[in-house]
Parts: sequence; structure tokens; C-alpha cells
Amino acid sequence: MNLIREIWQSIVRRDPLSTDKGKSELVFLNVWLHIHPAKVKKENLKFKHTYYLGFITFFLFVILVTTGIALMCYYRPYPAQAYQDMKDLQFAVFLGPFLRGMHRWAAHGMVVCVFLHMCRVFYTGSYKKPRQFNWVVGVVLLLLTLGLSFTGYLLPWDQLAFWAITVGTNIGSYAPLVGGQIRELLLGGHTVGEAALLRFYVLHVAVLPSMVILFTVVHFWRIRKDGGLSRPVWKLKAKKPEGLVTIGGTPEVAQLQAVPASTDKTYGLMEVVTGKPIFETITPEEEEDVAFSYPFAFFREGVALMATVTGIMAISLFFHAPLEELANPAKTPNPAKAPWYFLGLQELVSHSALLGGVVAPAVMVLALLAIPYFDRNPSRRPKDRKLAIWLFTIFVVVNLVLIVIGTYFRGPGWALVPPWVHVVAGAE
Amino acid sequence: MGRRLPQAFFALSLLALALIVAAVWQASTPSWKTYQRQFLQLEAQGEPNAAAKAAVLATPLEIHQVLLPGLQRVDRCTTCHLGVDDPTMKNAPEPFRYHVGLGTNVPSKFGCTICHGGQGLATDQKNAHGNVDFWQTPLLAKDYIRASCGRCHKEGDIPGVPELAEGRHLFETQGCRGCHKLDGVGGSIGPDLSEEGASQRSPEWLEKHFLTPSVVSPGSAMPNFHFTREQARALTYYMLSLTNQDMGTYYSSLRTIPSSSYGRELFVEKNCIVCHAIGGVGAKVGPDLMGVTQRHSREWLDEQLVNPQLVYPGSAMPEYDLDTNSRKALVAYLATATSEDAQLILSGKKSTLTPEDAAIEAGKSNFARFGCAGCHGTELQGGVPNPNAQGGQVPSLLHLSDDYTKDEVIEVIRNGRMPPLDNASGPTPPLYMPSWKHLLSEEDIHEIVEFLWSKQQKAKDSW
Repeated sequence: MNLIREIWQSIVRRDPLSTDKGKSELVFLNVWLHIHPAKVKKENLKFKHTYYLGFITFFLFVILVTTGIALMCYYRPYPAQAYQDMKDLQFAVFLGPFLRGMHRWAAHGMVVCVFLHMCRVFYTGSYKKPRQFNWVVGVVLLLLTLGLSFTGYLLPWDQLAFWAITVGTNIGSYAPLVGGQIRELLLGGHTVGEAALLRFYVLHVAVLPSMVILFTVVHFWRIRKDGGLSRPVWKLKAKKPEGLVTIGGTPEVAQLQAVPASTDKTYGLMEVVTGKPIFETITPEEEEDVAFSYPFAFFREGVALMATVTGIMAISLFFHAPLEELANPAKTPNPAKAPWYFLGLQELVSHSALLGGVVAPAVMVLALLAIPYFDRNPSRRPKDRKLAIWLFTIFVVVNLVLIVIGTYFRGPGWALVPPWVHVVAGAE
Repeated sequence: MGRRLPQAFFALSLLALALIVAAVWQASTPSWKTYQRQFLQLEAQGEPNAAAKAAVLATPLEIHQVLLPGLQRVDRCTTCHLGVDDPTMKNAPEPFRYHVGLGTNVPSKFGCTICHGGQGLATDQKNAHGNVDFWQTPLLAKDYIRASCGRCHKEGDIPGVPELAEGRHLFETQGCRGCHKLDGVGGSIGPDLSEEGASQRSPEWLEKHFLTPSVVSPGSAMPNFHFTREQARALTYYMLSLTNQDMGTYYSSLRTIPSSSYGRELFVEKNCIVCHAIGGVGAKVGPDLMGVTQRHSREWLDEQLVNPQLVYPGSAMPEYDLDTNSRKALVAYLATATSEDAQLILSGKKSTLTPEDAAIEAGKSNFARFGCAGCHGTELQGGVPNPNAQGGQVPSLLHLSDDYTKDEVIEVIRNGRMPPLDNASGPTPPLYMPSWKHLLSEEDIHEIVEFLWSKQQKAKDSW
């Protein structure tokens, strides 16, 4: 018994969790948990503040990596084999349809959640100082998520995959000067073929996931370094007279020294230098609003994790991922559609190739990246940022409407056909 | 909130565990396992003692599959259809019944789906039988399975399936190629038929289409050829046999089934009678072939057809590059050949043609081969309905010379043209003269025009 206790002690090396010391040691003696602070602001744990969308997105990514590695064991990235491997997953591999279903639905879910997470961050104004750069990292992660979903779309090598990627990469080729070359680089040729499948596979299983992991690490690190999650809007304090000091900014050294040493706690520079840091801090009077991460934060995250996992598993148990006919370059479905999240762009392309293929995506990405630097309004209160909220809402609604039109209202020849009218394509 | 959270966490964890159990249960109880257990029960009944019964019942349940790289498929049908090659299962209930009458076409070498259709990779009934979305070729109805013989056996006769030869004959003589491409040759008014056997159109649809095209595809340009039921069935068979699929070497060697009638066709086609005689009828350059199969062994004859120089150095016999089964067919014909038949073959060959007659003959065969007859009629009578074209039908070609010079007709064949409209504001007529310059050489076109002119009925004569 003593040996077992000794082994356990050698692993955990912390005081019992009943003590405050034990609760904090659980966090900072553990490499995996110490991304959390030992204590968190209670109000930040509120569901209605974040809807846990960031966590859910991350958990979906974990599901995708896990099921993705399992699927890699059964998949050969070569056209004829790829499709047969899909059929084998469907009919002969133990748990094959379940695994594939989980991967598919988690992938769609991740695209949705990463977008919703972005909306939440915008509406709570959480991209504002000092969190501007983390918003930029977030936009990069959104683009990487779309890239992962798009590259994964081709891998089953069925008609849906083949034509969605053909249309999707065509949209990209409308970019002036480099568009054609980018398409060729991506496809390894002029059309979607063997080379394209191999390249998409490499991007999907190696390049893009590594980049997502790298940027996620930065994203999480930045949350800690920016002082934890932003305060809920309803807890915003009245602005302090001394305001925030910009490190490395224009103020003279003398001015910086003139600022009295703060009694606030910080998560950044410990109190070895004077001056108030850039990070959001906790004043002594806020201390009582703080709770230990264990158990309050951890169990909430645990619930979010298990809810995500059970949700995806339950869906996969009853709905299997679709698989159409073997890709046939000679037989174009009418209409051929890009993956759903690019249908807004395809809709624009149908009106103007330049607008949908170049202007709209470029403006959207640049605008998203520029938001925290362009929006000079320091207030996070909704009543102070009516214009920003209106503009962003219009952006979201226009995107959704275009996607819905592209998905449900476009029939053969990209004609406007409501979903309740059945059109027989290719009637002779 | 403190207490409820861990409870929710553990409840959800239990739910996750339950879902994993459910998924494992779903994956471990596929319907094919039920069928295999039933089959083992059935087999165990035939065993004499309890030990043998137990041994049978202990057979592991597993997916059975036939790997057929030559046919580019993997068939798992035998996972459930377990008695298909077991004659003792002759009276067993489906899906275990023995497949009678397979001959040499055993499932272990050919699989099942090459003849029956369906989805070989699937392991549940609905998907395997192929009546699901996104699977092109569902199981063929019983009446049409024999059409699949034509997928491999593309030449000559197929014993037991006269429909295929009949369908091919109709296709080539009724002018189908005028509108439809097959293996790269033909018009483009109708769809390409090279892969018709792999299309989603059902046999029933095809058959109705041949009887009355307008019933299944209203507004189609396809004329009603007034085929009989048997002809429609034969054409349907032929259509079902058309696939572009690349068969591996072993399977493509099966293109021909050796038969004496196909051997006779080869004998005529290769002009053997020019050098050889049968029972004294024919030429005397080579030996008389009467009774040649008694004088030499089949192996010797086969070798002689492959490489005459090896058998008789200095022989005048050319190499004909015939495949194995064509050589067998030729030998089979020689075994039954008679001098009367040789006489028939000889009389089928006209005496030397004048160059004019030769051109007309060639024109006639071009007219048939490229499907002109489809619209203009086998007797050039025209008459196929073509709404809103002048006269409402495809014109007869019997009075061409009244209105056109030869050069004008050559121009129309070369470049095609839209028919003059009856009503200028009406719809475009479905049929039109396609441009033939990419398919026909100048010589072909000239020959066709010579043929047409040889058939002209002068307007004066009919007065």
C-alpha cells in the first residue's frame, strides 16, 4: 500500500484537493492544466457570456484529430483506392460508418462553431485592447478551419467531392494574375486528379492540422497573457481615471515612472517593475469574485467536452456520412456546387466572377483582420457601439442569406429554384 | 452550482459510454451475421452426429469476398449467398440456394455483379442489391440477366442469348448510328450509347423506349421505328451489354465464344475461299480443306493458324493474327464445312465489279454503317416525323437529282444543315442533318452520293 501511495505521490506531487494549496498546485504543477490560471473570475464562467463556443470548437478539433487518425489507417490517397476505401469503411470496417460519421459531423460542427465563436467575440467587444492580436490569430484559425474542411472534402473521391473541389478551386482562380497559378499549385495540374488528391491529403493530415495546433497554442497563451477572458459586458467597470499605460508607446520614461505602483494583481509581469501593465488586472476589491479553477472551471469544461462528444456520437449513430458515386470527370452534376460554406461566394460568382472570386473574399478577410485596429471606440458596451454591431450583423446576415440561397434555392443551370419544387435534371 | 456540475459531468460521461456501447453493438450485429448463422444451422442439419454439428456451428462468422482485379471489382455477395457453389444447396431457401447452370462461369472466377449488377462491396441487402441513391447499376431483373453475357462476349454468337446478336444486327442496319455514337463512331443528335449498360436507365425503360419513344421521353427526337416486342427486347439486351469498362487480359480473351457459325463468318471475312477449296469447290492455291480436321489434330491446326511458317516453312499462307477463340471457331467451322456451303460462299461473292459499281456498293455499305437509314429509311423513303420541318418529316432521298446537283448534296453531307422550317416562328425541329466531315472521308461521301444517284427515280418516269 505504501508503495502505491508513494508512486501516486510521485506522479501528482500536490497537497490534497480539499486544501487551497492543493487546488492551486493541481493547476500549476500540471503541464496540461497550467494553461489555466489557478483562480478564475466567477462571472467569466457564466454560460451566457461565452456559450463555451471556443471550448466546443477546440473539443471538436480533438474529436477530428482522434477519428481522423483512425480513418487514416484505412485510407489510401489514390483515386481508385480512395473510393473503394470509403466503401470498405461503410461496409466492412468495424465501426467504420460511425468513425466516418463522427469525423464528418464534427468537421461541419467546427466550421459552424468557429464562426459562432467569432460572432460572440465581436458582439461582446472582446477583440478590443489589449486583445487585438488574439482576434487576428482567431481569424487565421477560422481560415485554417475552412482550409481543413475544404481539403477533407475531396478525400472520399465521390461525385460530391470531385465537383465541389472543382467548383471551389475555380472560384479561387478568378483572382487576377496569381489566381490561375494558385489553383495549379494547389491541384498539381489543371484539373482535379491524382496529384490534387495527394496534395489535398498532405494538406489535410499534416500541414493544416499542425498549423491549427500552433495557432491554437498562441491563441490560448494569449488569453492568459491578456488577463484571462474578457469581462462580461454586464460587469464592466466604470473607467478608472488613470487609464491604461501603453508599454513601449510614446509616453516619456519620466511619465511612466510617475504612475504609482499598483496594488492590482496581474498575470503578466510580476511586481518587479513599476507602472501598470497593459493586461486586464484584478483589483483587491474584486478578489471575492474569484474562484479556484478546480472544481468550478474544470467541471464546466468537462461538461462542455462530454456534451460535445456525446452530441457528435449520438448524431453519428443515426446519420451516416453521405457517399455518392465514384468521381467522374466526364459527368458534371447540374448544378455543381462548392462546399456549403463557400456557396455564398459561388452565388456571388454567378453574378460576377470578379466580385465573388476576388473582391468579396479579399475584402472579407482583410476587414475581419482589420476590425480590432480599425475600431477605435474603446467602449465595449453595446449602447456605445451601435454602428459596429449593425455593420457586423449585416455582414453575418448577408453571408447566411447568400449561403442559404446557394444551398437551397439554386437548381440546374444555377437557376433560381425553390427547394420545394422538384426539378428532374438532365431530362431528355 | 458546486455539486450539480460534477453530477452533470459524470452523467454525460456515462451517456458517452452508453453511446460507445451502442455503436459497438450496431457494428457487431450486421445482418450478414444473421444470415451466416442461419446457413450454418442449415448445414449442421445435414451432419450425422453432434460433434460434426458442433464443428459446423463453430465456423467463424466472416465477410467472404471474391477479388476480381481483372474485372475491377470486389464481390462480397457470397457473404450471404453462401450456397451459391454448393450443389447440396439446390433446394435451400434464398439467399442460400445453389446457382444452377453456371457452367464455367463460376463465382470464384467471375464474381456475381458482372452479370447480375448490384453493389459488390456492400454487405447489407439494400445496398448490395443496389436500389439505393448513388448506385448506378442495381440488380438486373431476371428477364434481363442474360444480356450481361454481352459485356464480355462481344463477338460472334452467344449460345442461349440470340437476342444480343439480333440487337447488334438491328443497331447496325436500322441506322441507329446516324444519331447515336457507339465506341466513338456515330452522330450526335442522340446521346452517346457507349456506356448505356452502366447508365441508370432501367431495362423496362429501355424496352418501352424502343417500342414507343414518346411514352417514356416526351418530345424526344427519336423516331418510332415500329419495332416488334422481340426486336425491342433484343435492342434492350444489346444496350444493357454496352460498357466501356476495361476488362483484364483473361476476361477480354473471352470476347468470342467459339462456334462454327462464327467460324463461317471469319471464313467469309478473311476470304479463305480465294486460296482454299472445300470438297473441290473453290481455289486450288492452298490445300483442299475438306476433312482437314481428320487429317490433323486441333493443336496442329491451331499452330498452323498462328504461325504457318513454323509448320510449313515457305508456306504461302499469311498470318491472320486471330485470337485463340477465333481460331477455335474457324476450326469448328472446318469440321462441319461442306462443298455445298462453299458453293454458297462463292455465289455470295459477285463477279469482278466495275469501278462505278464498286463505288455504289461502297456507298451502300457506308449508308448503312453510318446510320443514314435511321432517318432517311432503309429504302431512302424518308418519312420519319420531324415536327415543324418543311413537310413535317425527314425528306425522301429518291428524288434528289430533280433539285440538287451532286456537288450540292456533297456539300450538305459535309457540313450538315438545319431543315427549312414549316412555320418560321415555330419550334426548332428535333432532327437535323449533322455535319459528317469529321467522320467520313471525301471518298466515303462521294461513294454515298454515287449510291444515292443510282437509286434516283426520275420524276419524268413517274408521270
